[in-house]
Amino acid sequence: MAGKQGKDLALSMLRVLPRLSLGNIKDNPGSRKSPKRGRGQHGGDKHGAGNKGSGQRQNYMRLGYETGNTPFYLRFSKEPYYKGHHLRREYPPLSLKMLQLYIDTNRLDSSKPIDLISLINTGLYDINVQWKHAGVHLTDEGAHCFEAKVNIEVQWASEPVIAAVERNGGVITTAYYDPNCLHVIRNTKQFFSRGDPIPRRLLPSTDCLEYYSSANTRGYLADPEKISQERLVLAQKYGYELPKIEEDPNYEMLCERKDPRQLFYGLEPGWVVNLQDKVILKPKAEYLKEFYAS
Amino acid sequence: MSMLFRRIVNKLQRATCPPLKYCTTVENQAKIDDVVPIISEIQYDDGNNFYQKPRQVWLENLNTVEEKKLGLITLHPHIYAAAPRIDIIHQNVRWQRMYRWVSYAHTKTRAEVRGGGRKPWPQKGTGRARHGSIRSPLWRGGGVAHGPRSPTPHFYMLPFYTRIAGLTATLSVKLAQDDLHIVDELEIPTSEPSYVEQLIEERNWGPSVLFIDSYDIMPTNITLATDQIKHVNIMPFYGLNVYSMLKHNTLVLTEKAARLIEEKLLYHLHRADNNQLLRPFRLNQQ
Repeated sequence: MAGKQGKDLALSMLRVLPRLSLGNIKDNPGSRKSPKRGRGQHGGDKHGAGNKGSGQRQNYMRLGYETGNTPFYLRFSKEPYYKGHHLRREYPPLSLKMLQLYIDTNRLDSSKPIDLISLINTGLYDINVQWKHAGVHLTDEGAHCFEAKVNIEVQWASEPVIAAVERNGGVITTAYYDPNCLHVIRNTKQFFSRGDPIPRRLLPSTDCLEYYSSANTRGYLADPEKISQERLVLAQKYGYELPKIEEDPNYEMLCERKDPRQLFYGLEPGWVVNLQDKVILKPKAEYLKEFYAS
Repeated sequence: MSMLFRRIVNKLQRATCPPLKYCTTVENQAKIDDVVPIISEIQYDDGNNFYQKPRQVWLENLNTVEEKKLGLITLHPHIYAAAPRIDIIHQNVRWQRMYRWVSYAHTKTRAEVRGGGRKPWPQKGTGRARHGSIRSPLWRGGGVAHGPRSPTPHFYMLPFYTRIAGLTATLSVKLAQDDLHIVDELEIPTSEPSYVEQLIEERNWGPSVLFIDSYDIMPTNITLATDQIKHVNIMPFYGLNVYSMLKHNTLVLTEKAARLIEEKLLYHLHRADNNQLLRPFRLNQQ
């Protein structure tokens, strides 16, 4: 018994205790409060509303009202810092440390390209498109202990994050998804069961076009030649030796990238996925092919 | 001298000593050479990350009254050696008792008691206490204030993972207290209830036993044999619940049922869509 701890100790103690039955079990002390009935017409008390006056009548003032003072929100003429905040995109963060944890605990398969869809399918990361969430921001927390070799596509990444991924021989791409596509990504099963064709991904809006077409940020619209050059530049800047991607056994997986108009790996826009019959329907009409072509 | 010698020789000849036999096996016992022990082991996905040892349980038989050990079966420690949380077991039992209980206790209020519409005497001038109705709760024969009203349902739902934890905790407690037995199948040679009674007596399984099979159509013999014995019951694996496990002294699982229970509970413990699963039950609905 000396070596046993925790669950094993408890279970070994149970061996010498009487058999557990319906008659000798009880809850933790203090976990349940027996309901009390208040005396009188309204349960006997003031229901937390206080004794007299406005408070007793639960006369709540409107938000921001300061009983006669000039309210704080009217005291200053204008605050432009948050102008357009309801239109700005938001990127919920995911740290490199958590990404490593997902891979180590088999929640993510690093032998396949990782994108926003596979992150959401883990059930551990989620976005809300109504709140202007536009995808994942990979943050540098845990960059020093990030060891996985991945082909990852994120929506926002800083320079140390790019360096941490490329140092291990991985590939990182930043890519834009428009809100319509994000709705599809959010719940793919629901979308497929709806029977709609996979939408065509739109190009980034003007405010982030530069980010997604720059080789520094590994944008998906950037020139691949420039990106491979920037990979070397970053390796020199951060002082690591860039592993040779051409000699990697997973070279094909690491080089797999989506078309700028493509939403899912292996599926093209315009296709309809029928989950019930397990078939994929492809458009045949010329005008449809032309519409969905990138 | 010679007489003495002859008498001794005669005595020795007369005494018929049985031939001595030296033997390494105990007689009157069936040979077990022909029984190949069944070792049932499963490669679990998280097998390399166990903090506890997987539980090893004897695989027993039901086709003889005497217990035969057919082999060993290895069980997942997260299911059969989970934390024995008595409080969670209690919460499960309380839930199982409460959710089906509808209280039909009923009393009449002052409005429902017959009569009492008239003011019994004037408000002032009589010298008596003021009253508005003879059916007021203060009166004898009056209505009851805050009495029980029928029907009062006591239905509530225990959180999903508390229900799962209740099952794993109870299975673990049963195994730790030697009240969980695993058999190869529920086939017995006769349909006589006395066979089952003898078997339970022989193996010290206590008076009440719950047999769990993997499928809801049970073998005929055990169905007929346990039909008349009120405290021996059979159940398919999907009916397994905390209350029934504690109600019976001993829980007997077939090997297949034990594996199915393990598989189902492990699925729920590790499922990736638990966020979606619990969304409708969240208090903070957004």
